[in-house]
Amino acid sequence: MKTSKLTSSGPRSWSDLVPLQVLVPILSTVVALGIGLLIIAATGGSVTEAIEAFWDGMAGSDYNIGASLNRAISLGLVGLGFIFANRANLTNVGGEGQLAIGGMIATAVALHGAGSLPFGLAFLVPLAAGAIAGGVWGGLAGFLKAKRGTNEVISTLLLSFIALPIVYWSVESFHLLRKPITDLSSLPESPEIPDPTKLPLLFPDNGSPLHIGLLLAVLAVVVVWLVLKHSTLGLRLKAVGLNETASRRAGLRTSFYIILAMVVSGGLGGLGGAIMILGQQFYLTSDFSSGYGFDGLVVGLLSRGSAVGVVIGALLFGFLRSGSINMEITAHVPSAVVLICQGLIVIFIAGSAIFTNRKANR
Amino acid sequence: MALLELSGLTKRFGSFTALDNISLGIERGEVHCLLGENGAGKSTLCNLIFGVHKPDAGTMQLGGTPLHPRGPAEAIERGIVMVHQHFSLVPNMSVAENLMLGRAKAVLKPQDIIVRMGQLAAEYGLQVDPNVLIEDLSVGERQRVEIIKCLLGDPQLLVLDEPTAVLQPDEIDALLDICRQLTVRGKSVILVTHKLGEIGRVADRTTVLRQGKIIETVAMEGADIRSLVRSMVGRDVQSAGSVLAATVDMEEEAAAHPAAGHASDANGAPLVPEATGQAALRLSDLVYRDADGVIKLDGVNLSVNPGEIVGVAGVEGNGQTELGWILAGLASPASGSIFVGGRNLDGCTPQQITEAGVGIVPEDRHAVACIKELSLAENLFLGSINKFSRFGLLDKSARRKAAETMMREFDVRASSSDVPMSGLSGGNQQKAVLARELSLDPLLFLLAAQPTRGLDVGAIEAVYGRIRAARDTGLGVLLISSELEELMAVSDRIVVIYRGKLVGELKAGSFSREAIGSMMSGHEHV
Amino acid sequence: MIDEQMAVFIGSGLRLAVPIIFAATGEMLSERAGVLNLSLDGMMLMSAFAAALASWVTGSPLIGVLVGVLVATSVAAVQAFLSVTLRANQLVVGIGFNILALGATTFLYREIFGPLSRDPIPGFAQLNLPWLASIPVIGPALSNQTGLAYVSIIMVVVTWLLLKYTSFGLAVRAVGEDPRAADKAGINVARTRYLGVLYAGALAGLGGAFMSVADSNTFTENMTKGAGYLAITAVIFGGWNPWYTLGACLLFGFATALQFLVPALQLDVPVALLLLLPYLLALIAIAGLVGKSRQPAALTLPFERGG
Repeated sequence: MKTSKLTSSGPRSWSDLVPLQVLVPILSTVVALGIGLLIIAATGGSVTEAIEAFWDGMAGSDYNIGASLNRAISLGLVGLGFIFANRANLTNVGGEGQLAIGGMIATAVALHGAGSLPFGLAFLVPLAAGAIAGGVWGGLAGFLKAKRGTNEVISTLLLSFIALPIVYWSVESFHLLRKPITDLSSLPESPEIPDPTKLPLLFPDNGSPLHIGLLLAVLAVVVVWLVLKHSTLGLRLKAVGLNETASRRAGLRTSFYIILAMVVSGGLGGLGGAIMILGQQFYLTSDFSSGYGFDGLVVGLLSRGSAVGVVIGALLFGFLRSGSINMEITAHVPSAVVLICQGLIVIFIAGSAIFTNRKANR
Repeated sequence: MALLELSGLTKRFGSFTALDNISLGIERGEVHCLLGENGAGKSTLCNLIFGVHKPDAGTMQLGGTPLHPRGPAEAIERGIVMVHQHFSLVPNMSVAENLMLGRAKAVLKPQDIIVRMGQLAAEYGLQVDPNVLIEDLSVGERQRVEIIKCLLGDPQLLVLDEPTAVLQPDEIDALLDICRQLTVRGKSVILVTHKLGEIGRVADRTTVLRQGKIIETVAMEGADIRSLVRSMVGRDVQSAGSVLAATVDMEEEAAAHPAAGHASDANGAPLVPEATGQAALRLSDLVYRDADGVIKLDGVNLSVNPGEIVGVAGVEGNGQTELGWILAGLASPASGSIFVGGRNLDGCTPQQITEAGVGIVPEDRHAVACIKELSLAENLFLGSINKFSRFGLLDKSARRKAAETMMREFDVRASSSDVPMSGLSGGNQQKAVLARELSLDPLLFLLAAQPTRGLDVGAIEAVYGRIRAARDTGLGVLLISSELEELMAVSDRIVVIYRGKLVGELKAGSFSREAIGSMMSGHEHV
Repeated sequence: MIDEQMAVFIGSGLRLAVPIIFAATGEMLSERAGVLNLSLDGMMLMSAFAAALASWVTGSPLIGVLVGVLVATSVAAVQAFLSVTLRANQLVVGIGFNILALGATTFLYREIFGPLSRDPIPGFAQLNLPWLASIPVIGPALSNQTGLAYVSIIMVVVTWLLLKYTSFGLAVRAVGEDPRAADKAGINVARTRYLGVLYAGALAGLGGAFMSVADSNTFTENMTKGAGYLAITAVIFGGWNPWYTLGACLLFGFATALQFLVPALQLDVPVALLLLLPYLLALIAIAGLVGKSRQPAALTLPFERGG
């Protein structure tokens, strides 16, 4: 039993570091926000006023909490999509495009026919359509990876930049989704979707915009967690990601799993986009997805493959976004300060990975 | 004063002590062999000298001044060069570019390097086209480039890490000649090997390492090879024949122990326990072309009967690897057919092949046989996870029980079935692979490609024990190996492959090293 | 009329291509060394802002460019520290920098210039080389460029020479293909990659500064509008070869310029198609549907000695 002794005693010393994995994100966030406050103070802004406005925007009222949570839903779905593909060692950086395509197709379905469907199908069908569209968009990258060996980082990035002009096109062209020009408005955007296709609110009485997308997101978290942690599918994805040849030898259809991973990953992003439109925005604009896909990507990247990590990251970024918008409106502090903080959080956490990741590297 | 003086060198990786208090002097103008089993610390020692790792304790001196290279660059600067087991050449750059790498002044002057290559070619007969891409060269040619690279800078000390493992016999001779010539010019050579035959031919002194410690350093004049073997493995090797032959260049031993007695009739054809009349494996006119259209298998016809071990001898790179890939379903032949137990397997997926009763112990354990990051249990049931699936969720406790049963049966040693495969010794990894493949049901045929590569003596015995036992229950086995002595000790029949063709066949009892060797190098057997 | 429009089209196509040429050329070298700078856009944006500010304060566009390059190179140094020394995920770090750059430049712009400032910034004059102008059709477009535009072509030549004829270039290629082999050949992998990233930063700085100081003589929020991503795309489409990358940049520049030409010619082509064309072309190229494009084997993989 010589060999077992050698291997089992190695990692023990590193287990002392586990709290670091919790500590580092918290410290990064605190330090980044501290820097943000310093910037506000240095440029003559009122720190207390800014903090008040920021807090108010995040969680000052039922409405604001609901809006923050709604943001977190879409970020979380993109993040879940990221860790799903990542289980097969695929890096899906195309969340932005999958989100955008999902939102666009959901809008199209909601506008053309879904409104008259019964039993909640009015919103479920557009949601499914959005998810499928995102899945196709992600699956395209999976297909190229499986059949042509195309690096999925590059292909998903390019597919994002292809998706955004398509959405722009769809709201620019009267043949597609653009609403007719009236006296009141001539903006390039789609008409508002019919009421039955809008997601039902969870608390219709207290004015919170929080909608049933939250339940879908929670369900998605549980399912992704189960699949990745406890299912045979999760193990197969992991095997294919770690060693394609050995997996093929063991009888796994590796191309199938690569494509499947990307379809599910993109589908979750597409669902996120559909929820954005059906839950809160109600009409399509060319830049509705702006930044959500990349924020969601960061949420996924920082979660280290854990569904719980995605939840935490999505909440953090969702609340930050809400707070920054209110801070700009009421305290006249440019929301760009929060962008600076966000950028710093990402850089801090990514930069410290080497210290928290040691165990994984061996 | 020795050229290189090592004193008290210790190196640990985590809690594992790879080298323990090593003190050793390398003289000027000597070929000094480092002998030891895998994991004895030979490569680690070389890596310390070459600056790849830093010692945890101890000092080194080169030519009387302290040596602590912080990287290979500093070692090279001090005149120490190393040819690694795994070549360090950039595949999509040309030979000349690889030779200039890390050596050229600001502006590249390929002409200078070509002139220098001409000199070395004249001195040592090391000829390579400077403009060819590395990826287009054979393994032997790549090693030649490595050696040229080492000689460019006029080094004092040349470290060769297991250099002969990949070479053909005449290439080995040439390499050993170069070692001698270097010492004639006052340079020193450290030669890492586990082949005693080479040591006898070239070494001035030999140091034996075992479990990170120096066991002895002996001058080779009048030394007893057997005592070196004892020092290396740490005990008398009892089970003789196969194992000893695997390590030692002693063909008489192997010839004296032909395949251990098993059921066979007077004609040498094995008795078939279940007389189905079908060959376990039959290959008919198998042709394989690689991605560039080069023919790698050229009309292979072969059948393996149930209860028979057929060895495939040949210098590496003559189509054995491709044959293994095809049998595993990882590559498709250009033409020809494969039958297992009479059933045609053309165009089958790896899964269908497995289901047809084909077990595969692939040549490359880490790339094909197992996934080192996954646990032992996960690897044991890689292709049969469905057995432990309930509504798509994994029943880990049932799998653990099954894994533990299999570990007991096949003597796979690990603290639990949850340890990652990478935490197991090579021998236990291979036993796990064998356990998985031999547990297939049905099982008609087993391919074992280089099944003992990199294993220590005990594990080699275990692997062959398993294969023999499986053969005795009626399994047909195809054994591909580059170790001739092993083949002669284990096989019932040996076929020789040369440039994708089977060029000869010998039956147990008529094995001769000379005959097989000459067929391996392309000469027709007379 | 058509001729005039053609001349304007060619001129604007070239002007739009120049910043991408700078950024893509530097990025190509960095990627050959194995480091992908998704932060390219952030570097350009930071430089565009810094150059505008320095030029506005000192009145010298040349100082503006120098400051821009300095700032972008500093960002690159931090990026290199994170992705080479700390072996951080190159993609995450890049996205982090882009968010940071957008936030920082937007914030500083509003603080310093005020939200509605449209003050022109001292910029470069066009060179108007008479011997170039005499070439028919393309002559006027070629000569109506600032000196910086010509520098971009010089940088392509320099980068090509570096890669092909110097030991540094050889080291860059080796480190990007097989860092372990390069390390054993005595190449300092980390240093080579640092230099590659710094080179990308300096050239992205030139590209960013060109946008504010040479092309538009003003700074606007998020003025790069993804030019950095376009540059990365050009590197892919150009198959990591300096000349093909240059060709890709020119193609992308003209594709973007078509947006202005198409309405003028009253053609019914959706602008969106022109916007996505570069990315679609790059996708087709990387999918191996046209020719053979192979990325450096060690791209985005951190190197750690050992094993």
